[in-house]
Amino acid sequence: MDDQSKPQRIQSRATALGGGLAVLANLIWLAQAWVIATVLAGLLSGTVSQIWLSAMSFLGLGILRALLNRQAQAALSHAAEAEIQRWRLEIAATEAATADVSRFGGAGSIAALTTEKLDALRPFLLRYKPARMRVLVVPPIILAITVWYSWAAAVVLMAAGPLIPVFMALIGWAAKEASAQQMVKIGSLNDLLADRLAALADLTLIGAGPQVIDGFSTASDTLRNKTMAVLRIAFLSSTVLELFSALGVAMIAVWVGFALLGEISWGTWGSPLTPLVGIYLLLLAPDFFQPLRDLAAAWHDKSAADAVKEDFGAWKRDARPKMMGLGAITSPMDFDCLALSKVEVRHPDKTLFFPDLKIGPGDCLAIKGPSGAGKTTLLRVIAGLEIPSRGAVLVNGVPLSDVQADGWRASIGWMPQTPRFLGRSLRHNIGFGVSLDQRILHRARVSHVLDTLPSGDLTQLGESGAGLSGGEARRVTLARALHRNPSILLADEPTADLDTETAQDIINGLLDYVADGGTLITTTHDPRLIEQMDHVIKLDPGA
Amino acid sequence: MKALFKIMRMLLCGETRAFAQGMVLSLTVLIMGVALLALSGWFITAAAAAGMIGLGTLFNVFAPSAMVRFLALGRTAARYGERLTTHDATLRALSNLRVRLLGGVLTLPYRQIEKLQASVFLNRVTSDVDALDGLALRLVLPGAAGLAIIFLAAFAVAILVSPTISMVIILGYAIGPTLVFFWGQRRADKPSRKAQVGLQALRSRVIDLITTRDELIAFGQIPEAHKGVVDAAKFQSKSQAEVERIERTTGLILDLMGWAVVTASLGIGATLAQAGEITAAQAAVGIFASLALSEAVAPVRRALSEIGRMRSAAKRIVPLMEKHSDQYATSSMPIHDGPLVLSDVIAARGDADTALFAPIDLTITRGETVALTGRSGCGKSTLLLIVAGQIAPLGGVVRFGDDDLFQIDPVQRAKLIAMVPQRHALVAGTIAENLRLAAPEATDDALWTALEEMQLAKTIEAKGGLNARLGFRGVGLSGGEARRLVLARALLGKPKLLLLDEPTEGLDAPIAERVLQGLRKALPNAAILMAAHRSEEVNFADRIEQLHPKQQFH
Repeated sequence: MDDQSKPQRIQSRATALGGGLAVLANLIWLAQAWVIATVLAGLLSGTVSQIWLSAMSFLGLGILRALLNRQAQAALSHAAEAEIQRWRLEIAATEAATADVSRFGGAGSIAALTTEKLDALRPFLLRYKPARMRVLVVPPIILAITVWYSWAAAVVLMAAGPLIPVFMALIGWAAKEASAQQMVKIGSLNDLLADRLAALADLTLIGAGPQVIDGFSTASDTLRNKTMAVLRIAFLSSTVLELFSALGVAMIAVWVGFALLGEISWGTWGSPLTPLVGIYLLLLAPDFFQPLRDLAAAWHDKSAADAVKEDFGAWKRDARPKMMGLGAITSPMDFDCLALSKVEVRHPDKTLFFPDLKIGPGDCLAIKGPSGAGKTTLLRVIAGLEIPSRGAVLVNGVPLSDVQADGWRASIGWMPQTPRFLGRSLRHNIGFGVSLDQRILHRARVSHVLDTLPSGDLTQLGESGAGLSGGEARRVTLARALHRNPSILLADEPTADLDTETAQDIINGLLDYVADGGTLITTTHDPRLIEQMDHVIKLDPGA
Repeated sequence: MKALFKIMRMLLCGETRAFAQGMVLSLTVLIMGVALLALSGWFITAAAAAGMIGLGTLFNVFAPSAMVRFLALGRTAARYGERLTTHDATLRALSNLRVRLLGGVLTLPYRQIEKLQASVFLNRVTSDVDALDGLALRLVLPGAAGLAIIFLAAFAVAILVSPTISMVIILGYAIGPTLVFFWGQRRADKPSRKAQVGLQALRSRVIDLITTRDELIAFGQIPEAHKGVVDAAKFQSKSQAEVERIERTTGLILDLMGWAVVTASLGIGATLAQAGEITAAQAAVGIFASLALSEAVAPVRRALSEIGRMRSAAKRIVPLMEKHSDQYATSSMPIHDGPLVLSDVIAARGDADTALFAPIDLTITRGETVALTGRSGCGKSTLLLIVAGQIAPLGGVVRFGDDDLFQIDPVQRAKLIAMVPQRHALVAGTIAENLRLAAPEATDDALWTALEEMQLAKTIEAKGGLNARLGFRGVGLSGGEARRLVLARALLGKPKLLLLDEPTEGLDAPIAERVLQGLRKALPNAAILMAAHRSEEVNFADRIEQLHPKQQFH
């Protein structure tokens, strides 16, 4: 593959190295078994000498094998870590480079993909890949050695070995079908738990706690029965594997025993079986099957990894345009004039057309219109969060582009309709590291909110601004928007869903800002706000 | 470790019989596996010895060879049985674990349960429970069975071969690995906890980056947010690499111990056989048994890679599972009809000690509807939660009928009072299941009547009736429909006092009016207190009570 990047090539080389070392470690057993067989055969014939020398050479081989294994693990683990890290950083970089929402799923599912799902690749990279390599190398070599000494023992291995994958495949299909029919996943138990936990607080308010628990245990019992039905078939596959490997070893043991007794004279290439060779063949037989068993045990890791790769692929396929600029802090632009010229924005379900407009410093403009007319989209276009498919946003006469986007945004105050906060302190959520300006807190009517909070401006906020009421959260977003002394303020439905007093506070905060010479663009339905604006435009849906 | 033991006890005690069966079967599998290899080794060595001195025809081949075949088949059958029983037992235990978790969480203070709604907490709890799932199946059972087989095999080797070799087996397979296990897990403890912290930080930073992306771009914070994600990923990766390095070191030590045991069995057995104290076949038994036993030590490796994660998970989960009060003891229904009387009630936010609103006095008699108004954030929802008995007031008294509200048995209180918060708490399942959460015995007719009152019957009919299924968190209904469904559910419990937090939010005006009338019609005698800011709600009330911010009284 030519499109593989350099780190990827290094990684796959490290994986191959690790797998190779693991195979090598496995093959040392061929020599170790020979040492054991020699000692036992020597005891039988009474010709054994230097027992401890043999024992020490056995130990030496063991130490070598253990060290090789360790190196193999180290190489595999580095490669696995690098691979997981590469995927994680790709998600981080992509998500930080676009302003568009992913169609793959919400923040929760992308976070789950980045964390525990990618972690599930680790067992696959550490176990499955090297196990597959061992299956390709070790059994054929053991078979070749066995053939060299005895065709009968080789026939046993050959009969038992290749049959294993066939049976396993058959049973694996049956299990897959069974699980597909019943749509069972053990993971669903967790979804069920999360579902109930999320609803629990509010359900206690209607005294439904005990019923929730009853319902949950019934649901989880049903899930268990379905899961067991699948497992009963799924376990057959590993049982077949066990059966063949145990029978294979047993048949070789019985054949070797009878041959050594002289009861059987067939099975070798002419000369009778010696005790040395008999014991050696018995010692090798379990290792013929071991790689197959390891691979079967790692099979689950592979299907888990396949599912993760599929998810990652689905996330990656949803290619989104790069955002304008970098979203970085820079010095603000001087604001002379903002104009829209024939702006069109294409959305999957419809195309929005916006009227041309022109705004100068100190203007205040209300944008109204029914929902779906594109009010929020218009604000996002002005802020450079959305790129028009046609037309242009002209800032100081120049079309907004990558070059000015960050500087333009530095002179904008942004107040979204739904307050969203970082999982950090309230202080950081307003000032982003700049110490708080009491004047602005006062102007946004947020000072007394801070007073009622147990830890004041060090209160930790969560995803939905946990601990703040809707009105308080809105005041905080106003404080955040005003904090950099913006030349122009974009406020999306600043008074929606607020009680009269809070709405009035917000309106007063906005008007104070305008009175100080600020420029305001707001989308709103609120007549109290509209009547204070110099200009009002109305957007039509599908105009 | 203590928390982990607690979880272990919980898992094992719930399903003692199933786990005992699983334990017996796993031990059988191990015994048969070791016996198969040891017997085969003995069989061919003894056969070779007999063949060499010409006594081959006198050697009883049938007993051992039949035994070899029996062990081979028996081991397979036992293995299948073991996997089925232990998985079944584990699934039962997992379900128990989760049921106990729910039961424990239910007795937490309201504000703490509320926190679980945030997906950061939810993810953490579910991933913690997930980590503990493998405790019985992958650690305790194989570990106990492994230890048992090592001692059994050592005992057999002491009788059949030599006590010295059995000492070596115990030293190298039981004592040594146990010490290595404790040493390794102590070393891995800190990095594996760090790796967990890193993973959680990565999760919440990715969530932050995506949910607040517009704001991050607008305020120029993208590079910092991106750096935060990358730093968390790097921190996690570094700690994880450290954990794996420790695992490799312990793995190496375990490997070396194993080879030392086999070497000793080989050397000592062969020396004894050479001296004529035991036969060559007996020496073979010792060697083959030592080789086969290495399988019994495998769980130790597995344990090392998981124990750190399990320990920290257990530490967080155990406190959630413990009962904090006997809230759900059953008791008989009292006869209470109100009125609800609040005198001088004040409340604070969280642990703060500044009051949110001026002290309030309020009486609501049966059949009366009171609208609670006041600016956002002045404590309307908090006051409702106090009246619902979920959080204690900072001062003042709440009485219902003749009793102090907080002295009423919580089970009885739950039957008297129902509250519908602003969120719609719906769960995956049918419409009927969701409705019956409040009234398990309600008939289908009663459910339809409640839906009718809430102007929802037609909608539900169109969706397929009471057995229509909702997805997780009630996906499948619009906001307004979900709103009316949770109101219908609250009606079904026939509360004497109904607390509503902005009940008609998101409903069109005509529907909102009909819904409010439906509520009153369904509960003609209930006292209704609602936090209201819409005119429809305020107009519907018999009386309006204004909640004043405290500042005005200074």
